[in-house]
Amino acid sequence: MNIQDYIATGILEAYALGELSEHERAEVEKNLAQYPALKQELLKIEEASELLFMKAAINPSKEVKARLFEKIKAKPVGKEMSIVPSSMRMWKLAAAASITFALLSSYMAYTYWNKWRVSESNLTELLAQNQRMAEDYNKVNQRLDKIEADSKVIDNPAFTRILMKGTSNAPQSLASVYWNENTQELYLSIQSMRQLSQENQYQLWAIIDGKPVDAGVFESIASGLIKMKEIGKGVTTFAVTIEPRGGKASPTLETMQMAGNTVKS
Amino acid sequence: MIEGLKSKRQSALEYLYDHYSGSLYGIIFRIVRQEDIAEEILQDLFLKIWDKIDNYDASKGKLFTWMLNIARNQAIDKTRSKEMNKGKKTDDIDYLVNKIDNQGSAELQIDGIGLKEVLMELSEDQRFIVNQLYLKGYTQSEVAEEFGIPLGTVKTRLRAAMIELRTILKIK
Repeated sequence: MNIQDYIATGILEAYALGELSEHERAEVEKNLAQYPALKQELLKIEEASELLFMKAAINPSKEVKARLFEKIKAKPVGKEMSIVPSSMRMWKLAAAASITFALLSSYMAYTYWNKWRVSESNLTELLAQNQRMAEDYNKVNQRLDKIEADSKVIDNPAFTRILMKGTSNAPQSLASVYWNENTQELYLSIQSMRQLSQENQYQLWAIIDGKPVDAGVFESIASGLIKMKEIGKGVTTFAVTIEPRGGKASPTLETMQMAGNTVKS
Repeated sequence: MIEGLKSKRQSALEYLYDHYSGSLYGIIFRIVRQEDIAEEILQDLFLKIWDKIDNYDASKGKLFTWMLNIARNQAIDKTRSKEMNKGKKTDDIDYLVNKIDNQGSAELQIDGIGLKEVLMELSEDQRFIVNQLYLKGYTQSEVAEEFGIPLGTVKTRLRAAMIELRTILKIK
């Protein structure tokens, strides 16, 4: 900053007249602290300004002085002294206040950080729980849908239930098929069948006109109704064999597990 | 004297009052233009000086400038709060100038030269500005506005006048 240019603007005269805004005054005061030449110039201006104001003085009435000093005398001086803190006391107060504030802030920060951490882990746990609940709900819902669909088949009089009993190969096995001859829909329901090795699968056959027709492969662990292939009309017998995984075109008769006749004789 | 004020010596305040009450009252009166209100403000001003002298910072200027700022602010606050009529300014000026002239001869001849004699040594332009600001209580912006002089010109003219006045008043 060029001090002479700054002075030439007349800002110090305005300062001495008390005409600057709070902001402008703060700026001048900052510059005064920085540039001794500015302070020197201000002192001369203040002196001239003060003299002018002295010459333009108007004396107030004498009562003002009397009233003023009555009030001053009434002021509790001793107390005033202790109320008005010395700059040292101010420092001590400020320091104490700062330390208290810092301690309090740290304590609060720590407390809230801890609370935040606990909340965070609680939230994670709740989110996981919520997810599990949703999955469980979905599973239950799907099972319910399946049971509802199954019961529609079982309750439907258009379906005929054919019980297949275990052969000498598997006397304990028991399963049923639900067959709608008109729509050719075919379902299988397992009551009891032993589990097979990975390489093998059960295969359902329908005997039409004495010939076995493939009705699809299935696992023994399946629950509820298993939808099987549509087959033609005129089935006399349903039978199950054990075949290599994927099934075969014609049944391996030696592995026959169960059989049931459609014709109720 | 400032030390005396800081240690709450009444004699210091009394000295201050005797020395400055006239100039400060003049400043206040030019703003509020009513004697009773101006006297009330003057009293509050000295009570404030008594209570707040610790706030005075000599690095920011002379004590008079500090007091003047408080006086001006209190007076301006008062005119705002009372919604006082500022339009009467010109009517009161003659009365005001008379009052100064009367007192000037009696009590305020500190250095033996009256205000009029001092101002007569300035150029007409400069005298006009100083007159408006110091005698009639206008602000720089008011002078600029009412007399159609750019504010920058008001400021530089005042600066020139103040430099001139230093010589006249023998300030070194």
